[in-house]
Amino acid sequence: MSVIAPWAEQTTAGLARYLTEQWGRPVDVSLDSVASTGARRRNVLFSADDGTAVRRLVATIVPNPALQIQPFMLEPDMIRVAEAGGMPVAHIVGATTDEGYVGGPFFVSERIDGETVPRRVLRLVEANNLGARLAEQCGAAFAALHAIPLSKAPEDLEIAEPAHAGASSEHDPCERALIRLDELMTELLQPSPAFSLAMRWLELNLPDRPPRITIVHSDIRIGNVIVGDDGLRAVLDWEGVRSGDAMEDPAWMAVRMWRFGNDLLEVGGYADAASLAAAYTASGGQWDEQRFRWWQIFGTFRWGVGLAMQAKAHLDGSVPSVVMAASGRRIAEQEYDALTLIRRQMRLAV
Amino acid sequence: MEDRPTAVELLQAVSALLNDEVLPVIDASLQHKVRVAANLCRIVERELVLGGPAGERERVALETLTGSVGSLAELNERYSHQIRKADVGALPGALDVLLAGVIDKLAVDKPGYALEALS
Repeated sequence: MSVIAPWAEQTTAGLARYLTEQWGRPVDVSLDSVASTGARRRNVLFSADDGTAVRRLVATIVPNPALQIQPFMLEPDMIRVAEAGGMPVAHIVGATTDEGYVGGPFFVSERIDGETVPRRVLRLVEANNLGARLAEQCGAAFAALHAIPLSKAPEDLEIAEPAHAGASSEHDPCERALIRLDELMTELLQPSPAFSLAMRWLELNLPDRPPRITIVHSDIRIGNVIVGDDGLRAVLDWEGVRSGDAMEDPAWMAVRMWRFGNDLLEVGGYADAASLAAAYTASGGQWDEQRFRWWQIFGTFRWGVGLAMQAKAHLDGSVPSVVMAASGRRIAEQEYDALTLIRRQMRLAV
Repeated sequence: MEDRPTAVELLQAVSALLNDEVLPVIDASLQHKVRVAANLCRIVERELVLGGPAGERERVALETLTGSVGSLAELNERYSHQIRKADVGALPGALDVLLAGVIDKLAVDKPGYALEALS
């Protein structure tokens, strides 16, 4: 594949200079392809030849560090911590905040073959009958992540105070998330009775505090994992990592949006929730069904509010775009999912 | 009375143009936006057919829930505040009514999404 973007030459030269300095020997770099070119990050697939071997690598470049919500080094630092904890990740080869190499901070990781595009992942799972294995692997990966002591977390990780008796309510991750969502809801263009009911249900059914605060990836789902014919190979995209309630991670993967049409398999369109729970527990994780369901409803509802904010950004002229406009007409999907999930919990409670 | 084509027929002409003539010849970077635009034409087509009766059903339901009268927008706002303070016992009945309204919206915005198996 040819790469003709104007920054390609600068990127090639910058990566070669960086790796030459890191490895202490001349390194020749050739770009293979560009996996994504978003405004926030650019994933460049390249090969590095140091004269003895050719390594297939990926550079994740942040062209506009000002758009980063968290410190740049948090992501590569966290991937290293996760790898040491037994999570399948793309091994970090190097990372720098020096913008002089490729025009922005970047990290380099090993390239792992496999599928990331959701519908291709689900086709691969179906063709190879991988659902049960993937559930086992994801359950084990979640458990490994949540077992990492906060004392080993990167220093940039936002740490909520540990939940303990007498702690102020803002340190309960469920309650804190709900307060933030309530604030966001006041910015909606029009009130939604369905979302107001969901908010009321979440308030009235606030779960007990989690037994401990853990590292939370916050976006593990189909689309952010590499899957091969042997199942899970790596968990990607660690830029949103923070601390919180462990159940938030598996619950997010079970939100319907990430089933990509395979709607009856609740977790990512590849497994049921009981399989993921069993695998998590077998790997030493403490599964809590009540908090899992609470976060699943929260995540569904939160994404609906996000869609409303996108429609608002179009209508107020800050991001005029037909895609953002269309987001407004996807809100009903999240309302439906939130209400049907709540109804299931109501029926179980009777 | 407006002359033919009707509003629905005009939207069908626009979405056919986008799908059949524009999509095949444009740059890949624009294709997603054009597909979204064609889908929005279909949403508006369905809204023109289904939206009136659905809005009326929703208004009547919200009148019952709030015990008051008003426009759909007024009732929507009033009930959103009311449900935020509701007792736990009021939620199941309210949920069934609101879910019916959401299913009506999905018939316009995303037909087929309201799966019986998940209801």
